[in-house]
Amino acid sequence: MEHYIDIFQAVLPSLLEGFWRTLGISLAGILGGSLIGFLLGLVRGQHIRYFTPLIGGYLHLLRGTPFLVQLYVVYFVLPNTGISLLMWDSLTAVLLCLAIYTSSYVTEIVSGAIRAIPRGQWEGAFAIGMRRGQTLWHIILPQSVMLILPSLGSVYVNLIKATSIVSVVGISELTRQGEINILRFPGDILFIYAIVAMIYFCYCFPVLKLVDWLEKNAGRQRAARKRPSPTPGGSAPLNEPNVKA
Amino acid sequence: MTFLEPVADWIVGVYNFRIVALYADEFARGITNTLLAAGASLALSLILGTLLAALRLSSNRLLSALAEIYIQVIRSTPLLLQIYIVYFALPLLVPATARWPELWIGILALTLHTAPYMAEIIRSGIQSVARGQIEGALAVGMTFRQRAQHIVLPQAFANIMPALLGQTAILVKDTSLLSLITVFDLVAAGMLLNSERIKPNEGFLSVAVIYFAIYLLLLLASRFVERKLAGPAWNKATA
Repeated sequence: MEHYIDIFQAVLPSLLEGFWRTLGISLAGILGGSLIGFLLGLVRGQHIRYFTPLIGGYLHLLRGTPFLVQLYVVYFVLPNTGISLLMWDSLTAVLLCLAIYTSSYVTEIVSGAIRAIPRGQWEGAFAIGMRRGQTLWHIILPQSVMLILPSLGSVYVNLIKATSIVSVVGISELTRQGEINILRFPGDILFIYAIVAMIYFCYCFPVLKLVDWLEKNAGRQRAARKRPSPTPGGSAPLNEPNVKA
Repeated sequence: MTFLEPVADWIVGVYNFRIVALYADEFARGITNTLLAAGASLALSLILGTLLAALRLSSNRLLSALAEIYIQVIRSTPLLLQIYIVYFALPLLVPATARWPELWIGILALTLHTAPYMAEIIRSGIQSVARGQIEGALAVGMTFRQRAQHIVLPQAFANIMPALLGQTAILVKDTSLLSLITVFDLVAAGMLLNSERIKPNEGFLSVAVIYFAIYLLLLLASRFVERKLAGPAWNKATA
């Protein structure tokens, strides 16, 4: 028992250091990914010619390949093109990769939420002379936010879990710090990985709970206010009970 | 035809498919292992997931709570860490597994990881069957087995089929992490090409394209299934 306490005290500082790195990377990833994803989602949500299918292809490309392979492509293949702008260090590659990876999910969520707003809302806004941008900003987005937020939380958890993969290109985040500590204490592999898992758990679990809470409450609020749309052709509602990834 | 020569040179410079052809055997072995790992852990995780879903829905508070804890722990920790833990912990806990090939350990880790997601899908499928269906079955005097076999499970299955295929696509992508515990999967084949020839384009772009092809096949399958099942069993009206 004393042995474990000693090891715990010995490894905790460096593991926490790794955790701060993980936290920073995941926050940067969610910021970048949300920004890209939000812009693309706005476009994809409203059937704009050429752009909507183009973004669809982008989504499929990102959905269809593993994050590890995307990371290898960004880290090994892009610097190999010879363009000096693309010869980045591992941190830049990782942040870019995480942002792009996250953006695919955010795009889908935002465009889904925009399409979930009945067409009558658009038509009503156009009828009183609002322009497209005004309609989006004043009518559509305020109603979509409550649909976007819960799903965004589970994307965030996905992103946190994906940051463990960036340890393979030498970013010293939590998983990598665990490996380094295992080199120091090779006899306690299991114990050190258990601590690492616990730190991840303490980070992800509250977010997951928040997602559940948001889904329950945000959904209820919206359902209470929802009125049937007189216009057919509004797309299917998004809040079908779906499985959170 | 001379004007095509610079184009051909450029293509070979960027992506020399002859080198990829040299590694066809390795890629074939990688694809086999990837599909094997995905297929085996899909089957196993469906079994374990059904079990977990049954535990979650059971009236025994303790069993239901245990299943819930397991599901939450798996959902809140990264897959890579779970693979490492299984890879390093299993030989310590069960000495007989020390001689297992890495692929088996990888399949086990992927099964343990995917089962909770499968359980959630299966649970939502069972709960998506309208209450009136079960009451109707009870009213005509069906036994539990008959209700499950003829009423609940066919509808539940039809409802969750797209979600299951989506999870399968995720599982196929997740197998890429097995290359980090020295399973010779598709990514490992690309890595081998890159480390022997220092050709990242040929190595990793081929891997990406093959994964994408598998994904497109699954996507087609899911479109097909959705169209096929969009009959009466597709109980959007009753949901």
